[in-house]
Amino acid sequence: MTDYSIPQKTLDPTFAHLEHPLIETARMFAGNRAALSGLAMFLIIVVVSLAGPWLYPTDPFEMVWSPFSPPGVKGFLLGTDYLGRDLLAQIIHGGRATLAVGCAAALLSVFIGITFGALSGFYRGWVEEILMRITEFFQVLPTLLFSMVLVALFGASLPMITFAIGIVSWTGVARITRAEFLKIRELEYVTAARSGGASNANLIFRVILPNALPPIVVNAALLIGFAVLFEAGLSFLGLSDANVMSWGAIMGNNRPYILLHGFTIMYPGLAIFLTVLSISLIGDGLNDALNPKLRNR
Amino acid sequence: MQFLVITLRRFGLGLGLLLAVLVLNFLLMHLAPGDVADTIAQDAGGLDAEVMAQIRKDYGLDLPLWQQMLKYFYSVAQLDLGYSFYYNQPVTTLILEKLPATLLLIISAQVVSILIGVVLGVIAARKPNGLASHFVTILSLVGYAAPVFWTGIMLIILFASMIPLFPIGNMVDVTVERTGFAYMADVLHHLVLPMLTLASIFIALYSRLARASMLDVLGSDYVRTAQAKGLSEFQVVFKHALRNALLPVVTTAGLVFSGIVSGAVLVETVFSWPGLGTLAVQAIVARDTPTILGILFFSSLVVVVANLLTDMVYRIIDPRIQASHTQEM
Amino acid sequence: MRIKTIKLISLFGTLLLALSAVSVQAETPKRGGTLVWSIGTTPRHLNPAVQSGIATGAPGAQLFATLVRFDDKWNAHPYLAKSWQTSADGLAVTFNLVEGATFHDGTPITSKDVAFSIKTIKANHPFKTMFRAVSSVETPNANTVVFKLSQPHPALMLALSSQLGSIIPEHIYGDGQDPKKHPRNSKDVVGSGPFKLIEFVRDQHIIMERYENFFIEGRPYLDKLVIRIIKDPSARSLGRENGEIHLSAFESTPQDILHSKNVSHLTATDQGYAAIGPITWLAFNTKKKPTSDKRVRQAIAYAVDRNFLVNAVMMGTSRPAYTGIHPDSIFHEPNVARYDLDLDKANAMLDEAGYARGADGMRFPLTIDFGWPSAKPMAEYMKPQLKKIGIDVTVRTSAGFPAWAKTVSTWDFDMTVDVVFNWGDPVIGVHRTYLCNNAKNGVIWSNTQQYCNPKVDAILAKAGQENDQQKRIALYSSAQKIIADDVPIYFTDTVPYHTIFNHTKVGNPPGTIWGTCSPLDEVYLKN
Repeated sequence: MTDYSIPQKTLDPTFAHLEHPLIETARMFAGNRAALSGLAMFLIIVVVSLAGPWLYPTDPFEMVWSPFSPPGVKGFLLGTDYLGRDLLAQIIHGGRATLAVGCAAALLSVFIGITFGALSGFYRGWVEEILMRITEFFQVLPTLLFSMVLVALFGASLPMITFAIGIVSWTGVARITRAEFLKIRELEYVTAARSGGASNANLIFRVILPNALPPIVVNAALLIGFAVLFEAGLSFLGLSDANVMSWGAIMGNNRPYILLHGFTIMYPGLAIFLTVLSISLIGDGLNDALNPKLRNR
Repeated sequence: MQFLVITLRRFGLGLGLLLAVLVLNFLLMHLAPGDVADTIAQDAGGLDAEVMAQIRKDYGLDLPLWQQMLKYFYSVAQLDLGYSFYYNQPVTTLILEKLPATLLLIISAQVVSILIGVVLGVIAARKPNGLASHFVTILSLVGYAAPVFWTGIMLIILFASMIPLFPIGNMVDVTVERTGFAYMADVLHHLVLPMLTLASIFIALYSRLARASMLDVLGSDYVRTAQAKGLSEFQVVFKHALRNALLPVVTTAGLVFSGIVSGAVLVETVFSWPGLGTLAVQAIVARDTPTILGILFFSSLVVVVANLLTDMVYRIIDPRIQASHTQEM
Repeated sequence: MRIKTIKLISLFGTLLLALSAVSVQAETPKRGGTLVWSIGTTPRHLNPAVQSGIATGAPGAQLFATLVRFDDKWNAHPYLAKSWQTSADGLAVTFNLVEGATFHDGTPITSKDVAFSIKTIKANHPFKTMFRAVSSVETPNANTVVFKLSQPHPALMLALSSQLGSIIPEHIYGDGQDPKKHPRNSKDVVGSGPFKLIEFVRDQHIIMERYENFFIEGRPYLDKLVIRIIKDPSARSLGRENGEIHLSAFESTPQDILHSKNVSHLTATDQGYAAIGPITWLAFNTKKKPTSDKRVRQAIAYAVDRNFLVNAVMMGTSRPAYTGIHPDSIFHEPNVARYDLDLDKANAMLDEAGYARGADGMRFPLTIDFGWPSAKPMAEYMKPQLKKIGIDVTVRTSAGFPAWAKTVSTWDFDMTVDVVFNWGDPVIGVHRTYLCNNAKNGVIWSNTQQYCNPKVDAILAKAGQENDQQKRIALYSSAQKIIADDVPIYFTDTVPYHTIFNHTKVGNPPGTIWGTCSPLDEVYLKN
């Protein structure tokens, strides 16, 4: 029986960039119905967020009717918020900022995490000690509280919020990266490459890292969902950029009026829920597709 | 012996971490614009420049930075986390006052989510591709994917507003003096919705972990041997497999503690639950720096202690299991 | 026939008598009981002579008496002073103190205590304009006090009322310690007012009980006053609904106010805040382009819809404000330029002033600041509203009040939402916003707009010394008209402070111009 596990195929660096394992991954993924529906949902959300503002150009900040108009009245499908602004416009336009923050924060986390994990996993010794201590420090710090403090102190602008989320969410990636590096660096093809004279940088970036990617990629995907939830939490507590519409901001703005006008919170919450759900399904699917152990089950 | 050495080392590292948190705290406090004099000015409806300068002098804000930092370390070592400008109380007192409420919420939510998560995981593991398994996956994903405060609000609207089964917020009914059993019952009544909300995030995680490790264990030689020996399914599942399945769940519970704290902040805000989370949010809104930093430090302390404990527990349990596994091999 | 008429008349007469007897009975205050009153902020301490702000002022007014007190029509009534006379030139005001008044420790209240109190307030209280014109306080005998003024000072009476002119005991506070930090400010307080302090636990409660030898016979009616400190507005709301809290003042959350109007045993009233005079407004930086251009400010004023702010954002709980003097003040002038919503006019003004629209439809950018969360909706409202006249508004969030105070007081802003109190007499709380020489860098709630109109300065200076009420009203009227025309500030609405109380329990609820910041000695509990 053919062995589909990735390490076998990519043991030889010259085969490292063949797409064979990727096609395989894609095929595994495609066989997973939950993952596919997640992907479809996510694509729809992305398309609506990108193209929606062009198709439904109502300014989300414009006051179009009296406040708290219930859904369906006067043609406003989702009603109006506390300042009489079109909730549907807010949700359609809000997707961009929400997804942008989610992806950017996840990217930042991944970048920091890979750096810490790769360096400590590769060099070991005192480099590892220091970097791991720093990682533990960020793990111990209460994430939401610390981000809140950063945003509250340095201003609730979109870049600051992205930074505040990214700076506390990278420890998982760091640990995974380090674990992968520890595992892979002992493998034959790596020692072979090293004795063949490859530089450290070469080893890290071109030999080990590409093979360490699968679990990192899964984690990165899930991080996007996590960052979206995080941004929503910050906005709900009032720490959102007042000049940009995001789904979390909608909920934060209407927070004092929840009990009387629950619909203002329900829809943006639903949007976030569907986004994170679809990302989780995709992440699960990727995990199943990339993880050799599961394949043998 | 080695156990002791490892524990001491971990303890030392923990202390080092806390010190780092303190330094960070202090830097944040001074990087940010505005200080206690401004807060007092707000309460007083306006103050003039010399009064504010005097206040700053009184609070030692004119000392060089490193001196202030040492003063800060010294007082923290004496368990004095500073004095809240906004609440006019020592921060330590404030935190200890609100701590029980948060602990109650967090611990009950954790216990419930572990229980429900494990039960769901076991159900799903019995038939890995059955309908029940998929249902469990979806249900638990809902808890994770929905923003926790949104879940809380929906629960309030459903079970406190539309169908008034539970109170909409707070820990107790402010207006009637209750004692003893009646008091506890009142607190429990108020606890149900916030606890379920906080639990919902982690049910997904625990059920999947339980399911995965149950499947692992159920497929192992050890269990097959037990089944061959004629032990009933009940005995197999509950006495042997479950204990092993529980382990990763419990250790993960320790690792995600940070996430629980974050979730608690949001849940407390939604339900006006008078705990550390509400205090933290209020302090941030009021820019009450000593309280904010006191809470930051305190939660870090709790996380360090929790990690230490989890680590020790794991080491205690682990060798036994490793040993029993090797026996079977 | 006649007999029948007589019978009818006598029957009618008896009925009338009976009715009047009943109504008289309904108005007789009952003595006794404990009133539970909730407040939202913990006072730093309880001595208003050395601390401004309502947190100290409201409880402080129960512990300390003042020379005069005001009713709901801005009339001064005797309190510690049984009578007073002003000299013809207005430079000397003589007060005759009530005889036999004592502090809570039994020591008689004399003119020396009054002189000491004024001296202490002058040296320690942040509101310097209250007694600046008082050059000396003479005490010819134990029951007479003569205020010598350097110029006529009509604000004196209001400065000697409520929380502004507390009479404190010299034998306690004159011991050399800094009165601002005196230990007797929070514990074992010896006051002159109707209630004496039993206990003050920060963040929990302030418990007071009747001072049995209070100088007004039979008062206070209440045995005990329990002030519960409850920071969370929804907890206070619950408490009022369930009957445990009888009274809360300074409630300003629109939802809470509206909700209480639907509770049968509660009454919500905005009476009692005329002297505090809180006004929400949009302030401009008059020295920074383009808001330094009057036409720009006027155009913005025309673009802002006050009615929307009052009815939608504040849900109808506040009232429109057109000037910097509260509508319930006798000095309020309603006939000023109101800048009612007129977008076309606003656009036209900006076009004429030379601020043409660019390719993106915008003329110029402006920032807007706000200092606390409840001001955010109004700041956010400006963004889409001013977009309609081509101004690109960026809402700046600050790291809380201190950072905002710094931004605004160092003039680093274009526009900001702000709330400022009148504090009784315009001299105390209104002048500070407009005087040329009060633009003090670093001091919040000074003339942070850097507004300077010498004509206004002259009128205000004159009004501050005008003892004739009618002439004063006329002077403030013209000042308000000029200010409205210059529009350094666009006044939007009053802060919707409401007193919410249980009308089945509370008799004579505090409704004077100072509300709960005046003594509650006339309040009683119905049973």
